[in-house]
Amino acid sequence: MGMSPLARLALRAPVPVFAAIGPGRQADVERLLARRGLRRALTPRDAAVLLLAGDLPPDAMEPLGRVHDQVPRPRRILRWTDRTETGDAVADRLATAWRGLCGGEDGDDDLQPDAPSNAWRGVGPHGQGGTGMMGGTPYGRPMAMTGLDIRDGLQLDRYTARLGPFAPMLPPGLVLELTLQGDVICDAGVVCPPFAQPADADAPVLCSARMLALLGLEDAARRVIRGGRPGALWLRGAVPRGLGRIEGGGDARERLAGYLAGTPAALAVPPLPELLSGLEWAEAMLVLASLPPSSILRATRLREAA
Amino acid sequence: MQTFVILAGWALLAALLARQGMKAAASSAPQAAPFLGGGTPDSHAWQRYHFRPYTMALVFIAFEMEMMFMYPWAVVFVSEGLTALAEMGMFLAILSVGILYGWREGVFRWE
Repeated sequence: MGMSPLARLALRAPVPVFAAIGPGRQADVERLLARRGLRRALTPRDAAVLLLAGDLPPDAMEPLGRVHDQVPRPRRILRWTDRTETGDAVADRLATAWRGLCGGEDGDDDLQPDAPSNAWRGVGPHGQGGTGMMGGTPYGRPMAMTGLDIRDGLQLDRYTARLGPFAPMLPPGLVLELTLQGDVICDAGVVCPPFAQPADADAPVLCSARMLALLGLEDAARRVIRGGRPGALWLRGAVPRGLGRIEGGGDARERLAGYLAGTPAALAVPPLPELLSGLEWAEAMLVLASLPPSSILRATRLREAA
Repeated sequence: MQTFVILAGWALLAALLARQGMKAAASSAPQAAPFLGGGTPDSHAWQRYHFRPYTMALVFIAFEMEMMFMYPWAVVFVSEGLTALAEMGMFLAILSVGILYGWREGVFRWE
């Protein structure tokens, strides 16, 4: 096989995998991607292989297509739907796919048409422009409009977007509609609740690893999942005190300390909009990562019932 | 002549490099969209937000300028007398407008 020296070097790097996790497979995937030789990419742009674990509900197929097409070419999608297939076997398949891509294989085609999601729709005679800084719709998408800021009482632009179901910092399946001003969350709404996960996903080891990975301590997170010590000093100091305090469940820092000590958390989480509104983006993601997946699922169901 | 050749050579090289780079940057429409974990945005991400250090910098400049001019002013204050006092009063009045503005913006509410 005629492989260029660059491709041979790339082959020695860990396989960059973006994980699209379906119902019931969160724990499996998190344990799989903590292995040596695999790396969990935080964005599709950073990945070469898209790992699809579990059977997705039909309404998650369109978001999957979007994520799939964002993985740069050459790319490969691997499905892990068979529950009996071991992690070793999947790791082998991932390594094989990576070897193929480095060897110059073409990879998978786009799932979605290569056309802008919004058609160009300006106001000018040639379809250009809008009116001033606000009100225009360049590339068919409106500019952000101002609204009252919740923190300073100023008129600031509001940015609304739906995040998920495959955002790596959110529990798999959760689609949040967030309205942000700068990095402050003004409004939060649950569009889809997260996928149900087995009790194993609430394991203290995985919960602490989720927080550590979000804090940028990916190697510590790996070591924790593999059953070792995190290998970092005073980890809970990385989480601000008093963040995400929940009645009877302490704050995020105490929960991280609890997970590291091996105690699982069973919490009654308030509805997510209540919990996240007013927090900055980074804080909100840390609060979500500090909660076990089952508690988040229960909190979103509570919201639906209300 | 020599200068011209060198400049033209560099320009050609830069153009070739740019061409090469553009080829690599060609991405499809889905790849040009922002990554939201499969979600979609309502508007463009370009937005005006509150740049908090701005007001902090304003207050810093207001107080620092005050002190910068007060040292030389203190040296000549005795010899100049009432004129110096009036001049400094005018200067402080102008600066205090900035401080009042900062106050209104909430810079003195430490969080």
